[in-house]
Amino acid sequence: MQGVSAPREPTQQVISTTSTILNMREKEKYIEDFDFPFCDESSKYEKVAKIGQGTFGEVFKARARNSSKKFVAMKKVLMDNEKEGFPITALREIKILQLLKHENVVNLIEICRTKATLHNKYRSTFYLVFDFCEHDLAGLLSNVNVKFSLGEIKKVMQQLLNGLYYIHSNKILHRDMKAANVLITKNGILKLADFGLARAFSVAKSGQANKYTNRVVTLWYRPPELLLGDRNYGPPVDMWGAGCIMAEMWTRSPIMQGPTEQQQLILISQLCGSCTPDVWPGVENLDLYNKMELPKGQKRKVKERLKPYVKDPYGCDLLDKLLQLDPAKRYDADTALNHDFFWTDPMPCDLANMLAQHTQSMFEYLAPPRRPGHLRHHHHVAGAQAKPTQPVQDSGYQDRVF
Amino acid sequence: MPYWYYDKKDLQNTPSYREGIPNDTENRYRKEGARFIIDTGSKMDLGYNTVATGVVYFHRFYMFHSFRTFPRYITACCCLFLAGKVEETPKKCKDIIKVAKSLLTEQKFGTFGDDPKEEVMTLERILLQTIKFDLQVEHPYGYLLKYVKCLKGDKAKLQKMVQMAWTFVNDSLCTTLCLQWEPEVIAVALMFLAGKLSKFEVVDWNGRQPKHNAWWDMFVEDITMELLEDICHQVITELIGATRIGKIVSKINVGRSQCIKWIAL
Repeated sequence: MQGVSAPREPTQQVISTTSTILNMREKEKYIEDFDFPFCDESSKYEKVAKIGQGTFGEVFKARARNSSKKFVAMKKVLMDNEKEGFPITALREIKILQLLKHENVVNLIEICRTKATLHNKYRSTFYLVFDFCEHDLAGLLSNVNVKFSLGEIKKVMQQLLNGLYYIHSNKILHRDMKAANVLITKNGILKLADFGLARAFSVAKSGQANKYTNRVVTLWYRPPELLLGDRNYGPPVDMWGAGCIMAEMWTRSPIMQGPTEQQQLILISQLCGSCTPDVWPGVENLDLYNKMELPKGQKRKVKERLKPYVKDPYGCDLLDKLLQLDPAKRYDADTALNHDFFWTDPMPCDLANMLAQHTQSMFEYLAPPRRPGHLRHHHHVAGAQAKPTQPVQDSGYQDRVF
Repeated sequence: MPYWYYDKKDLQNTPSYREGIPNDTENRYRKEGARFIIDTGSKMDLGYNTVATGVVYFHRFYMFHSFRTFPRYITACCCLFLAGKVEETPKKCKDIIKVAKSLLTEQKFGTFGDDPKEEVMTLERILLQTIKFDLQVEHPYGYLLKYVKCLKGDKAKLQKMVQMAWTFVNDSLCTTLCLQWEPEVIAVALMFLAGKLSKFEVVDWNGRQPKHNAWWDMFVEDITMELLEDICHQVITELIGATRIGKIVSKINVGRSQCIKWIAL
């Protein structure tokens, strides 16, 4: 325990509260010198390169200065524009990462700080320190030299669904599924990453719906219920993302690259059919059902349009089950893992051998821009190649709380 | 994760004590800080979980820093501010400060400095580092509800007992019990106390096994009577200090002598 030195006699018997309080200068000195026993200084790591931009700050690759020379990823907690102190989103991410310990979820090692000095007005900067992963899925998919066999695609999806099964069992929604947030180590272990938008969910009790923000999930991976203003959503939002990522394993770029929320809905309707109460009971009650333009008479063409890429009929069938418009009909992670896709030849096979041929770390952030989507419909609007809208602005967190 | 439980020797040899603050004074500061978090929290309609989390942060903070370095009321505000965010019931810093100002004397509010909000912001970083970002804190409340569900007996009496135990948990926040025992143990002890004072004896419970001597053996292993009595004693001492003992005595309709007997354990 802390402070085990022998007790000394109190030097004063009566302490008046106000007269003995340290002045500002003394307090600054105290903060500068205090050796926080549980929070190491970030200088124990040496930054190597910037590898990305998280939802609330930059991410760096760094190396431990101690003998382990271990590589880590350091995610800076951006606090410059925070009126309300340490961002609630960062607190959420930390809480969630401390709870989630699983092979297919990125591992938070510790939280580090810079030393508080006059230079930073006695305010430390904080870093979340993670085990380093060599690749992210978006980076791998954008590299034409990286080829996934069917067995390897199965392994990727199996690990991704295992991760989702685990986090959903722990009542956590990821809310930002996309290829760039799926990391893969050089040993072929997949890790779900970036819980910056994640939150705990509860099963809504009757008559008491949850009110979560629908401004989550990068647009191209955003499920129809969010685009229609649902605020009482659940794990199916992540399963839609899993479906988009699965298709991307073959198409190699995001399958629906809408430039706006409206366009994204149109692209979804063109692939998955019209959003009607027939295929999706209750859709008519969603807030934006009457406010958005919803294409009518569209047939569902998921299998038909993905078949040229996917070929494997089990793969096509699982995609069809994940890209269901009605969240209630969409497969959950457990059901998906039991799908024949994972239990027929070729069986899922290890990625390590394939990855061993690619020694360069591949991150989307560092990779050249990806090609526009293969699946875009013939009458797409101008500007469709624009970057996907981030779920939130970079500054401020108010917008994405609750 | 850090270990947050201390033995009594550690609780006497605190940073405040080492800076010359006697234990009695420190305990009074702790109590005043905790009470202030409870009062501020309830004035702002914050739930019991948020308030309790704030109080636990407060007690943990002063295991590493002295009350001389960090005056108690602004630390209390900072703990409540952080707990609000962690428990998904965020309150604006300026609103917490406003309520704090309304509850404190001018002299006490003076310790907040020229720019109270900036002070809280700086303090929050120190708080986060001190508690090692160990944000999620469990409290005895949930365990009380879980335990009472298993006990058999008159529904109304059980209800009365758990309500009394609930108020004892509130009172326990003003002590350092959360630095001594896990929430499960505190819940058992205060339910035991409430049972004694409301004259309700638990004779049977769901899930009872031959090896169980008492209902709590089902939930926590190796609880001795000595330990239960020690915990009860700490809470009762706190009640006396809060001059609420008379109210308790009249409310629960047990003789003062019964209470005194308990106090004299």
